[in-house]
Amino acid sequence: MKDPDVNDELSRFEAELRAWGARPARTSASVARTQVTARLPLVCEPIPWLRLAASAALVVVLAVATWLGAPRASREGKASVHGESPPPIDPNVVVWVMDTRTTVYFVLGPDGSTKGGMS
Amino acid sequence: MPLVGVDEGTGGLVRAARGGDREAFGLLVERSWQRLVRLARSVVGELEAEDAVQDGLVAAWARLGTLADPDRFDAWLSRIVFRRCLRAHRRQRGRVSLEAVPEAPVSCDPAASVSAWQLLSRLAPRQRAVLHLTVVEGMTDAEIAPLLAITPASVRAHRRRARESAARLLQGGKS
Repeated sequence: MKDPDVNDELSRFEAELRAWGARPARTSASVARTQVTARLPLVCEPIPWLRLAASAALVVVLAVATWLGAPRASREGKASVHGESPPPIDPNVVVWVMDTRTTVYFVLGPDGSTKGGMS
Repeated sequence: MPLVGVDEGTGGLVRAARGGDREAFGLLVERSWQRLVRLARSVVGELEAEDAVQDGLVAAWARLGTLADPDRFDAWLSRIVFRRCLRAHRRQRGRVSLEAVPEAPVSCDPAASVSAWQLLSRLAPRQRAVLHLTVVEGMTDAEIAPLLAITPASVRAHRRRARESAARLLQGGKS
């Protein structure tokens, strides 16, 4: 770049570029206006606020659904925590869960007799 | 609703266009057309410049709602058109080397136009845009930066690299 010849050539190139780049467009502005407006879709895309609002509404719906589902799940979880632990699984044990608080089980004796209890 | 009593400043036209006024947008197109085509021509060449600008304008219409400040419409529109040009440039590279098909000269001085474009087309697209906006449009770094979505420091770096590359190419052409 320090070479004066190169600087001269660069200046010449930029002068050419100025002349080349400043030429008017082949299509006039008024024709371009007609062409472009003919290509425009009928309406603008919905403003991103609408899209944003829709996304926010979806998030709220999901949050509410999760919140409504959560107490049920935790209630069930509490019941299993506070209730009796289930009887051991054994081939000779028949377990009958009546509800979350009541489990009835039967133990089959070796002679076919049964004994059982309720918890 | 056509333009009646609308402030014909850019901001007013943009606000009207955002409300769906196609006539207002048409006026904005008419005002920006020459400037945008000159920029696009320096990035993608004569053949694809006007298509790139038209595509950019249609995209801009669809995205008018995203423009935060209507008074910055010109820079915003230039960025959209410039991105279209970058896309067109990538397609060009995929198709054929620009050097292989020099464009038909259209100016009064055919030799000048061919050599200006031939050299420009060998620079990176951002370098072409920076050189164009500096040399042809006479814009400052601070004015160029928002048009290309880069910092003024990047503008200076692109221009320095563009001039270095041009000098190398000019020296190479001489030998």
